[in-house]
Order: sequence, then C-alpha cells, then structure tokens
Amino acid sequence: MAKGLQLLEKLCQAFGPTSCEYEVADLICEELQGKYDEHTVDFIGDHVFRIKGKTDRKLMLSAHMDEVGLMISAIDEHGYIYFQPVGGFDVKVLCGRKLFVGDYGKEKISGLIASKAIHQQSWEERGKATPINKMYIDIGAKSKEDAEKYVSVGDYAVFDSDFIRFGDGMIKGKAIDDRIGCAVLCDIINYIHENKITPDFDLYFCFTVREEVGRSGAVVTANRIKPDMALVLEATAVGDIAGTPAHKRVADTGKGPTVSFMDHGTAYRSEMIDFAMKLGRDNDIPCQLKRYVSGGNDAGHIHKSSGGVKTVAVSCPTRYIHSASCVFNEADYDSMYRLARQIALCPVSETPVK
Amino acid sequence: MINDLKTIMTTLGASSREDAIGDKLSEMIRPYVDEVCKDPLGNVIAVKRGKANDPQKVMFCAHMDEIGFVVTFIQDDGLVRVSSVGYIDYIAASNHRVRFENGAVGVLVPEGKTEAKDLRQEKFYVDLGVKSRREAERKVKIGETGAIESTLVKLGGKRYSGRPFDDRIGCYILVEAAKLLKKPENDIYFVFSVQEEVGCRGSRTASFTVRPDIGIAVDVTPSGDVVNPGTNLCVKLGGGAAIKVKDNSVMCDQALVRFITDLAEEKKIAHQTEVLTYGGTDASSMQTVAGGSRAGGISIPIRFCHSPNEMIDMGDVEACIKLVAAVAEAKRI
Repeated sequence: MAKGLQLLEKLCQAFGPTSCEYEVADLICEELQGKYDEHTVDFIGDHVFRIKGKTDRKLMLSAHMDEVGLMISAIDEHGYIYFQPVGGFDVKVLCGRKLFVGDYGKEKISGLIASKAIHQQSWEERGKATPINKMYIDIGAKSKEDAEKYVSVGDYAVFDSDFIRFGDGMIKGKAIDDRIGCAVLCDIINYIHENKITPDFDLYFCFTVREEVGRSGAVVTANRIKPDMALVLEATAVGDIAGTPAHKRVADTGKGPTVSFMDHGTAYRSEMIDFAMKLGRDNDIPCQLKRYVSGGNDAGHIHKSSGGVKTVAVSCPTRYIHSASCVFNEADYDSMYRLARQIALCPVSETPVK
Repeated sequence: MINDLKTIMTTLGASSREDAIGDKLSEMIRPYVDEVCKDPLGNVIAVKRGKANDPQKVMFCAHMDEIGFVVTFIQDDGLVRVSSVGYIDYIAASNHRVRFENGAVGVLVPEGKTEAKDLRQEKFYVDLGVKSRREAERKVKIGETGAIESTLVKLGGKRYSGRPFDDRIGCYILVEAAKLLKKPENDIYFVFSVQEEVGCRGSRTASFTVRPDIGIAVDVTPSGDVVNPGTNLCVKLGGGAAIKVKDNSVMCDQALVRFITDLAEEKKIAHQTEVLTYGGTDASSMQTVAGGSRAGGISIPIRFCHSPNEMIDMGDVEACIKLVAAVAEAKRI
C-alpha cells in the first residue's frame, strides 16, 4: 500500500466527529513535524500549515478533519444510551452498527446500536426504518450508574469500521469523507519536503473543523488567510450503484477525481473548472466532471469569504458516503493526489489569478 | 434607451457565468463614473466619488445573473439532462426554448406522460434536435449553462413582456441613474452583483470590499394585482417605485425607508410601499456583511416573476431611475 494510503488508514481509524477533531489533528501534526515554515491553530481548532512560496500570492488548500458522528444525549435507567446525529445521516445506515463511544482523551468503549429483532416487531414496524429517537446504543451496562462510569452525556460515538481492501483496487472504511482530503494534503507536504521544492504560491494547507454541520471552520480560516485562490479536497457521493439511471450517477469510481461545476453551496467559475481539467489533461491524470448538482462542501464558505475567492473543488468519488462502509478506488486516490499536487505547484502566472 | 435595455436583456448570464453581461455593463456605465473594477467572483463595482470632505458610502446593488440551467449529463441519444440554477418554475418553463452559452438552442421538455403536478426538474431534458451524444457534445458541454430565451415585447401603454427583467431591469436602472448624476456629495457605488439567484452570494463579497454605510438593493418585487395572487401583496404594477420595508431576507432600516419615502414625496416621484412576505434580495447581505450597513431597497414591480414572460411597466422603471438618482444626490442620508 502506498504511503499516503497507510496514513489515510490511520486517519480514518481516528476518532474525530464534528468539534472533536483533536485525535485527527494530533496524527496530522505528528506526520508533518518539521516539514513546514509555520503552523497555527485557531480558537475553534483549525490547523494551518504554511509553506512559503516564491510569491506572496496565497493558495489555500483545504480539507476537513471531522466525520459524521453521534452525540450522547441521555442515559436511561437500564443503562441504554440515547443520541442525536451530528451531521447528515440516513437512519437506515445506523441500525445494528458497532460503534466506539467516548471523547477526546478518554478511553473509547464499544457499543452497538440496538435494533429490535424481527420476532419482536409489530406488523406496523416491519420493513420500516426505526426513527432516530427510538434508537439507542447498548454498551452492555447493568444500569444507569454502571453506564455512567464509562459514558457521559455530551460524549460522542463514531462507527467502528475496519479499513480494508477488497475486489479490484477498492477500499472500504469509515470517515473517507474527508480524511482522504487530509491524507492528500499531507502527501503533498511530504512531496514538497522530500524534493526540497519552493512552490510559486504561498501555500496554506488547512485542516478544518466542523464541515459536517455546515458551520465550517473553513469560514474562519478563509477569512483569516484571505487567499487569492482556493482548492477544496473532498469526498463526493457517487451513484455508480445498482438502480441509479445513468444521468443521476454523478461520477464513476475508478475514473479519477471529480471537478465540480455546481453544487448546493457553490456555482464554480468556469475559468476554475477549465483550469483544473486542463491540468489533468496536460499531465495525463484521469479526472471527470461531477455530473450532477448535489451536496455541498467547504468551497461554499470559502468562495464567499472576505472579498471573494476563486475556488475549485476536487473530490474522490465515494460510494455509500456517510455510512460505516464508504468505498473508493485506490487509483482515484492517486489521481486525486497528483491533480492536487499539480494545482499546488502550478506557477501563479498559469492560473486564473495571475 | 430601449436598445440599451435590449442589450442588457439579451446577454446570457446564469449565476456564476456573468462575465459577458458584466463586461457590457462595465462599458455602459464607465463614462459616468470615476472607476470600474471586477472582483474575484465577477461582481462589477463602479464608483462615482463624492465631493464632501466626509462622504458616506452609498451602495446601490442590482444583480446581473439570471435563473437558468446547467448541463449535467448527455445521453447516448443526444438528449441533454439539466439542473436548475436558481429557482425555476417548471410549469412555466415547460416547452420553452433554452439558449446555451455558446449559442446552441434546444427545447426544454418533460418526459412523456408526466402529469402537471409532477413537473419537477428530474422529469425534464433538453432536446437540441441532434441524433447522438457526439453531435450533442459539439453543441454543449457538461457544466455549461443556459437560460430560457430572452425576449422583450411591447404590450399596451408602457408595459413590456419578456425576460429576464429579474434583475436586468435593475441593472438598466443603475446605468440610467448614473447618467443623471452631476456632482454628488457622497461616494456612490453602483454594483452589478453575481449569483443572487443562488443565495445572494456575490453581494456578500462586494459588500465586504465596498463596506457601505448605506446599502440599497435595486431588484424586482412581485406585484399583487394579478388574479388570485395566493398571498396578500400590496405592490401594484404601474404604482411607482416600490420602497422596501421587508422581505423574507431583510428588515430594512426604518430611518432609511423614511428618508427614501420623504425624498420621493418631495421630488414628486411616483412611489408605493413594499412589504414582501417571501423572497430575498441583496439587501440582506449588504446589511450583515463585515460591520453591517443600513440597508433598504428600491424595487421594480413585476408580474409573473421567474417565468418566460415576466411583465413590467416602464412608468415604474422611470420612477425608480429618478428615485435612485435622487438618493444618490442626497446630501446626508
């Protein structure tokens, strides 16, 4: 497995739901030790690593560290634990799932989302998704007191899901959204460090918080840095799955990262789309346009920050996103890394912000 | 005059693709202002400097983007799938011609057997009159935008039918008002903003750059004098410039509303009060960006907004031009 993917595995296994991204940040800081000119952490936990460029034109490269998770909201007399979603969930992906429950700096314990066996379901309940307020986490506790020794209200839970390879170059894991972007950023920094490159742009590698709840750390970071141009690295939901008509498939896994022309947060300027697609073509990097208008990402906040920022979003096509088993193609990781690196190291004069 | 309006109306520019219309508006307004610049998102910001020692910054904002479509997929049979850019009423848009950025024209039609109540974006496609994907790809690209064809037709009296009056008529008003300016006391900013139809995005960044003291949106407002308007709207077509009190995105600065109303009275400019129970405008972003500003709106009454055949009254437009110019010439707001 390539070095980037090894790091990605570690990042995906980390416990980092929204506003509890510390474990992910710790891993990133350890990985990047001594490879940057400047490191800042802001008051909500965004980490920014700067590598000085030949010019003072700023390029913000952004990926978010948080993952979708659950927050513990109540513990009942049996020691069963109730929760609220943090980020967008389809309730159907929760039932019966294994979880890690805990908080930063606290030992994580195993739990699972209970689901009533079919034997006990009423006829009305059969075949229907259990509403989220009826679901609970079972940590095997004897009582409320017993449960409270391990879990407090306000703690988090995330999926317990292995990072494994299967089939023809496919990888499955949790939190691919957006640890894959974080891994790509680290890979670019490693490349710059190993090859002692001075980039043309003044590079700001931003590992942001709180994307999954829409109140993104990217707003704070972008307003602080005031970049000339921004690259957002993401994972995007794709529909190259059973039962989806061709025009709603969004993109295909294995055909390279997507470049977005429009999503629910951003209408990208055509010069930025053309710039990324041309870099891909000129360097034989597979890439594809995202062929559907859906979702949103940190670009929505970044492009509207301060006086406006020319922004492009490059995403890894990911099946079953926001579930315990996100699936992507490892060749897409490589293509995404190469395209992002080309953008990062592009001379200012060859970009739309020249 | 009407030729300028025609140029402004017929230049395609769906949200995020406003460069062509932005360039035309820059050229039109340039002789009447001191500076014109374009920001990273494509907003055109024109300024006429005031002669006061301590000028206020007064920003008039009209959005130059229009609602439209973006190509998302080209089928093997050459039919093109699109997604909405801004709010599209598909019942109104159904079976109209769509023109794309590089000039290709097609017809927006629903899949067969679609009932009227099911007319949603997913059901629609554009037929370019080609036989294969290869042929279609020579005409449009994925990610390319288009809009229902622009029209401008004179009806009875001073009324016109066409599109997109929302908000090219506002852009026209700013250009005409700039022509009337002599030597204002205050710094007057005329902003042609981008991406209003997808959530007032352009006016955010423009307001951040300008940092206005006073922000006034010049945009259309639905008139209530139609058959069964559905909700009570007080604005009437032909009733004069509509002075905004609120819409769903903004509560206007009360003193500013008073000021504009008094000025209209004093100058004998036809006006009416606008209380809009839905919708939003660039006034909202001007009010809240950076340190915030005192915000309001001078609106143009419109019927059948966001349809292929919107309707306006040139009497209202003339009143808006005079009122914008009067506010711009005012000594202290």
